[in-house]
Amino acid sequence: MKPFLRWPRTLGSRLSLIFLAGLVLAQALSFGAQSYERYQSAKSAMLGNLETDVSTSIAILERLPANERESWLPRLERHNYRYLLNEGVPGIPMQADEVPIAVPSLKEAIGRDYLLTFSDIPGPRKHFQAHLKLRDGSPLTLDVTPSVMPMSPWLPFVLLGQLLLMLGCAWLAVRIAVRPLTRLAHAVENLDPNTHGVHLDEAGPTEVAHAAAAFNAMQARIATYLKERMQLLAAISHDLQTPITRMKLRAEFMDDSTEKEKLWQDLSEIEHLVREGVAYARSVHGATEANCRIDLDAFLDSLVFDYQDTGQAVELIGKNGGLIDTRPHALRRVLVNLVDNALKFAGSAQIVITTRENRRLSILVLDRGPGIAQAELEEVLKPFYRVESSRNRSTGGTGLGLAIAQQLATAMGGTLTLSNRDGGGLCAELELDASLN
Amino acid sequence: MDHVDHILIVDDDREIRELVGNYLKKNGLRTTVAADGRQMRAFLETTPVDLIVLDIMMPGDDGLLLCRELRAGKHKATPVLMLTARSDETDRIIGLEMGADDYLVKPFAARELLARINSVLRRTRMLPPNLIVTESGRLLGFGRWKLDTSARHLLDENGTLVALSGAEYRLLRVFLDHPQRVLNRDQLLNLTQGRDADLFDRSIDLLVSRLRQRLLDDAREPAYIKTVRSEGYVFSLPVEILGATQ
Repeated sequence: MKPFLRWPRTLGSRLSLIFLAGLVLAQALSFGAQSYERYQSAKSAMLGNLETDVSTSIAILERLPANERESWLPRLERHNYRYLLNEGVPGIPMQADEVPIAVPSLKEAIGRDYLLTFSDIPGPRKHFQAHLKLRDGSPLTLDVTPSVMPMSPWLPFVLLGQLLLMLGCAWLAVRIAVRPLTRLAHAVENLDPNTHGVHLDEAGPTEVAHAAAAFNAMQARIATYLKERMQLLAAISHDLQTPITRMKLRAEFMDDSTEKEKLWQDLSEIEHLVREGVAYARSVHGATEANCRIDLDAFLDSLVFDYQDTGQAVELIGKNGGLIDTRPHALRRVLVNLVDNALKFAGSAQIVITTRENRRLSILVLDRGPGIAQAELEEVLKPFYRVESSRNRSTGGTGLGLAIAQQLATAMGGTLTLSNRDGGGLCAELELDASLN
Repeated sequence: MDHVDHILIVDDDREIRELVGNYLKKNGLRTTVAADGRQMRAFLETTPVDLIVLDIMMPGDDGLLLCRELRAGKHKATPVLMLTARSDETDRIIGLEMGADDYLVKPFAARELLARINSVLRRTRMLPPNLIVTESGRLLGFGRWKLDTSARHLLDENGTLVALSGAEYRLLRVFLDHPQRVLNRDQLLNLTQGRDADLFDRSIDLLVSRLRQRLLDDAREPAYIKTVRSEGYVFSLPVEILGATQ
């Protein structure tokens, strides 16, 4: 069963709720205790007054001649009780368990001298009467209307004001408590060790400052680890180059044979891996290249001509006619990696350029190769991941080409997405946020 | 008797310099090896060489420093081929800026090195002498264009980058090195194809028309590259050296 009232989801509203409930409760308790105390003291004062007043009044009435009593009654009348010189109205005998508080006081004041009977008078305004007989035998009725304690008319406004004040304080406190948390969450969300991270302001309350400092330290540590990892990769790759050079040179002194051929192939494979390793380390670590304004058509044209000049089936479809602001080396590397990939698996590639409606630029590299299984489309962008068909030696592949392309695309502020084409083949889309003009 | 080209190999790795030396010797070149800048200077004091193969990464004086030194001294005409350990753009740019004629990335195949050496030698010999000495790494200005010779792209008057394919760059560079001088198709073909042996045999005419497009040159009334009937092409504008790349 679903509870009707649900615990609110945000920390802010939870804290507000607790604060508010606590404050309102505390306020209500203290208000209640205060008014009870006030009620008690007022009651005892009032009842004391009642006792003396009633006994005095009865004594006066007792001493007055019977014909003068009537004229004294208005003078003896008080705010909530008055005297009647008759039997009163018939009422219900008073229940023993519902005795108004004034009754014991009346008994105390005059009970010793007179026989008192009490009766409740029902009606829209409930009140009670005390009946007694004066010494001369004439009846006297005391009509008492118990009244609620009077309340000042400004009190509700004061209470309302207090409530508003509490609301304001709760809101302020919650805001102060929750805002640093929101800021921290935001910073963690945007944490990207490849770029210069956001440095959180280490000011404010101790706990907040502590959390911010811890976050900054963590960020710095991650950046250091990443940097070390990349330096390691670069160092290994770099140091392998000298022995590979030696081996390649030595291999060239060997007589032509299948052994030489195989050795040569292995060396080329290692060399390729080393080169890609260095390139990957750089692509992850450095976003150092400056932006330049480039003529996109000339750029793609020259890229395609470089392929065509070495006999590769690469063609360019579409013109853009614009200038874009981007990093030329990074863009070239991304496209070269994508085209090389297409050439490896399909033997030919097409580069298609389109401009999206929101002035985003989209460069597609298309092929008609085997494509990539849907489940692996995301995976192949990760370093050292290879689809099964590319693990064998004939196609080789370091598993870094697409990872490099992806890294650089991100560093350029673009996105790289792979998808399978209708009718077979792969479509690699590089979307750039380059400002066109 | 034919002249045998003398190659000086400077590399701190003993095995590499000896292997390279032996390979080149086997292929009909004379070779000498040097382990560092000191040995190189000592040898060059007494014997002129036809080409120097220079490793960039060396303890002590590195290749870049030595190359700059060579360019500043009496060996400034000796071609230099740099060996770099990184395929990184910056290394290439720096290498060419320091005045190397070509570069090769380690690990390289010995036969590729041989091809590059031959290409550089041929280029420096068969060229008609340069009318202007264009030091690498400089901006060359002509008409409304500037050519950045280290990054190998064009810049227009607004600073917009216009990329060139490898073949386009080489052809333009040949024209800019020999401005206002008629070059025939054979010369152009040789000079532009020298570097990459596997380059497809593009006809020079196609390459020229591509380059004209890149320069926004009207093919019917070209302002930059003019056709000289039955002779070849001429780059018709003066070229000025604008100084180092910013």
